[in-house]
Amino acid sequence: MSEQSVSTELMSENEVRQRRLDVKSLDNPKAMKLYRRFDGIFILVLFSFLALGVQIQFTLTAGDWDYWIDWRDRRWWPVVAPMTLLMFIGPLAYGLWYRLRLPVVATAVTTLLCLTSWLSRYLNFYEFTYFPMSFVPASTYIGLGILLDCSLIMTRSLIISCIIGGGLFGALVWPLNWPIFAASKVPVEFNGMLLSMADLMGFQYIRTTTPEYLRIIEESTLRTFGGSVTPLTAVFAGLVGIVVYALFLLLGKWINGLDKYAKRIA
Amino acid sequence: MAQTNTATVALDSGAESKLAGHFRRNRIVYILASILLGIGLAYRIYLNTMAFSVGTDFYSPEFQKYWMPVLYGEVLFLGLFTVCTSVYVWLTRERDASAISPELELSRYWKLLSFLTVIGIWVAAIATNAVESDAAWHQVTIRDTDFTPTHIFIFYFALPALTAFLIPTFIWAHTRIPAFMNKISIPFLCVVLGIFMIMPNYGFNEWGHTFFYAEELFAAPVHWGFVFLGWSLFFLVPLGVQIFTNMGRLIAQTTATESTASTEERQVI
Repeated sequence: MSEQSVSTELMSENEVRQRRLDVKSLDNPKAMKLYRRFDGIFILVLFSFLALGVQIQFTLTAGDWDYWIDWRDRRWWPVVAPMTLLMFIGPLAYGLWYRLRLPVVATAVTTLLCLTSWLSRYLNFYEFTYFPMSFVPASTYIGLGILLDCSLIMTRSLIISCIIGGGLFGALVWPLNWPIFAASKVPVEFNGMLLSMADLMGFQYIRTTTPEYLRIIEESTLRTFGGSVTPLTAVFAGLVGIVVYALFLLLGKWINGLDKYAKRIA
Repeated sequence: MAQTNTATVALDSGAESKLAGHFRRNRIVYILASILLGIGLAYRIYLNTMAFSVGTDFYSPEFQKYWMPVLYGEVLFLGLFTVCTSVYVWLTRERDASAISPELELSRYWKLLSFLTVIGIWVAAIATNAVESDAAWHQVTIRDTDFTPTHIFIFYFALPALTAFLIPTFIWAHTRIPAFMNKISIPFLCVVLGIFMIMPNYGFNEWGHTFFYAEELFAAPVHWGFVFLGWSLFFLVPLGVQIFTNMGRLIAQTTATESTASTEERQVI
């Protein structure tokens, strides 16, 4: 007995009838038109909400590292930024892959973040509070999202894509963004001190988080590793990416199990 | 009122152009979204014009004159809007789910998606306009009270407006669509509740800022409550699955049974 006939026996008559109608509707141009209209609206609604979701998530967990050119340090930003993005991508990636076999979430979320960040930097940081755009450019994570989604398409496994894609997502933040802010790392001499261009801009534009910047960034013994701080951080960020992505895929599994109705609010 | 709707599914068969038909079907989206974007744009211009000129000192008479009436007005308006709309939607609820035809049920799903599209446009406006305006503001001004211009803009208007749209939509869906009637969709509830709970979380945020964290590092733990509640958007995927499972069933059913009138013409928006 074939697998299909076994599963048909387990379904009620109504379910079989509905399944036949569903399959039949795929050949019906009117039904297909409505399906496509639904897809369009659903994508618009989902992406709008995701834009706000990733903006809230990112701005309140890694935002400061992403706002200012002088906060793109070698140690914190490459760890914090991919970690917080993977926290948001994980549950959605699980849902859309498990339910719809759509490996698009990472690319969609990183692209939405890029769009909203650029708009927001212009409207809020440049137009509203008069910071120069060269001081507040948005980073890009789209390439990382594409890598993560590609690893899922090619392996068709959330676990393997977590290890390969999650690891790459964490490790490649710095090289992907280097073309954007390389110019800000040019060394300059200022009052006898050696600074980067980004640091000099940071001291010209004192912000209320400047004390936090001085406390957090560029301290501790990791500096003694000299030029290898960046690759060391990349490897660690890769590990963090794998672990965080795995944990949030599990959260996604739990959330997608709640596709239920309740009789009343307990 | 809803009772009469069940019996009257409009079957428009006029020879309208395709474009005119598109605008007619989606007029709720275009009208409401235009109104919302107009309000948002006007508010944004007000913020840009008045924030730094008369909004940096809560204790100044200018602040009391130009910003506090805005706060009182928006809180009152949104509160009344939420209560009145929710009560109206509840009082006009459908009482007999069995009286709803598949065509009408499907049209209500499209209407639900229209509401969600309008809300989605508001959500996108918040993402690009509102969220980081507060971040930028706090980097150049010292906090003196909770009532800064950007807080009045985001905390007491933009996000409460989102809740004010979502709550009546939640009630509407659960009183008009058979699959949601007499029960509660857990993912839908989680989306609405999570976004609503961002507002009570202001309390922790402001208390924390007055008590132990005066600075405005945006990634500071005192702000993580907002993030946690933003995770309610993860429930959009199971909610979407619930909606399109039912819509797929209805589309297959209605397009299979109809013979002459096109399904598109049966949409009542």
